[in-house]
Amino acid sequence: MHIPDNFLSPPVWATLDAIAIPAVGLMVRQAGRELDDTRIPLLGVMGAFVFAAQMINFPVGVGTSAHLVGGALLAYLLGPAPAVLVMTVIVAIQAFVFQDGGVLALGANVFNMAVAGVLAGYWPFHMWGASWRRSAIFAGAFLSVLVSGSLALGELLISGVAMSRLMIGATLVFFAANAAAEGVITIFVLLAIEKLHPGFVQKPGASNGRILAVFSSVAIALGAVGFLLASAAPDAIERLGIQLGVTTKTVLHAPLADYTIGSFVESAWVRRATAGLAGLLLIYAVCAATARWLVRRRSV
Amino acid sequence: MHHVLLDRWSQGASPLHRRDARAKILTLVVFLVVLATTPADAVAVLATYALLLAAAILIARLPLGSVLLRAMVVLPFSITFAIISWLAGDPWRALALVEKSYLSTVAVLLLAGTTPLPLLLGGLERLGTPRLLVLVAQFLYRYLFVLSEQAQHMRLATACRAGGSSRGRRSSFRAATGTLAVLFARSYERAEGIHRAMQARGFSERFSLLRTARFGTGDGLFLLGVSAFLVLVRLG
Repeated sequence: MHIPDNFLSPPVWATLDAIAIPAVGLMVRQAGRELDDTRIPLLGVMGAFVFAAQMINFPVGVGTSAHLVGGALLAYLLGPAPAVLVMTVIVAIQAFVFQDGGVLALGANVFNMAVAGVLAGYWPFHMWGASWRRSAIFAGAFLSVLVSGSLALGELLISGVAMSRLMIGATLVFFAANAAAEGVITIFVLLAIEKLHPGFVQKPGASNGRILAVFSSVAIALGAVGFLLASAAPDAIERLGIQLGVTTKTVLHAPLADYTIGSFVESAWVRRATAGLAGLLLIYAVCAATARWLVRRRSV
Repeated sequence: MHHVLLDRWSQGASPLHRRDARAKILTLVVFLVVLATTPADAVAVLATYALLLAAAILIARLPLGSVLLRAMVVLPFSITFAIISWLAGDPWRALALVEKSYLSTVAVLLLAGTTPLPLLLGGLERLGTPRLLVLVAQFLYRYLFVLSEQAQHMRLATACRAGGSSRGRRSSFRAATGTLAVLFARSYERAEGIHRAMQARGFSERFSLLRTARFGTGDGLFLLGVSAFLVLVRLG
């Protein structure tokens, strides 16, 4: 589910942009360390493969068909960090070229689908992929779609998109059905690929684990919380959203309160917009500084 | 096809096409932020923004009708949620979702339609996107349509050999699985070939552009001017 712009409230998308940028940066660094140069074209072509794979329809259920989403499959084929990288690029190209998903909401979409989705999908494979292979693959692909969907739904609810309880239930059932289809498709495709050449598929647990385990547990936990909250207590999310809005407003306003330039900044909107832009600039500056520092430390 | 159209649009020559990608990206961000904080009942402000976008499309010499039509891809999603909000008794939010998400999409399309993707990615890189991400995006976009076409050929071939609806679900599921596996193997092989070919031609892990990107005075004025206009309109 690609969230377009203006569906999420400013505090929500700004927060998710602020989370997604360093998370992707970390994964890109990790991927850069794991890969040699020969694999760079491979990552691009694999991204194109996922796009192309979405054109092949799989018959599931009565008269309906599904297509592969591919986050978990990529993680099993390339390893988690490169898979996050490739999915990030896919989500960004979908936003810029195909107008599928917003630009300000890019952080949210990247976080839901590329970061949380891929890591949640890799986790079961990492943990018990060696012994219960098929169930691990299925569970991974299932989780990957379900986690992305529940996160998106949770973010929409926090942003104040009002949905009836029935509607939320229906959406969650729909996500679960999609997730099950993804699980089945992923198992069969992965086994078929392995039959062509066993070397294509990563060994479970091959990638360095600890950071990954923490990250993916967090992703799954977030997804689970989103799912439970959305299904059990949508009102609680809405209230959380209102409180969150209030606190972010006060937090963002406090440091900028002294900068009232005469009567020009009378209107609350200017303050809010300035605070938002200042927040974005701040995030950008922190990321740029961190990147520069990392590069310098590495080259010394 | 979609990409052919967007590629043709972005190759045009107009004052908007000539602006540096960074100036256009930053202006887009300002526009989106200002739009995001505009309330739904500020009809005059939203109308001004719509007119501004229309003027920009005309200045860029893009076909107004097709741009507006293409931006409608966002509408199914927006309208679904608008109906949900309406039913929940929040008609203003419903209206806001539709009009604001549509305007945002037109704005993004305007950026993509006046900036060839290599220049757009170059701009993003100069704004601090990690180089590895940009490189992967370049490769992805180059092979996206090659592989999509291959997938279409394979789908057609399967349909020709096995017939359409007479098959059982089981066998058509298996056929789709096989198609994907073969598509994957071919993509993998293609990637290795690409790498060897690029090494043979002396590829140095960086795509070079024929046009050098320069952030000139005009770009700075464009960014500041449009941003100031947007904010002034918003203040009314």
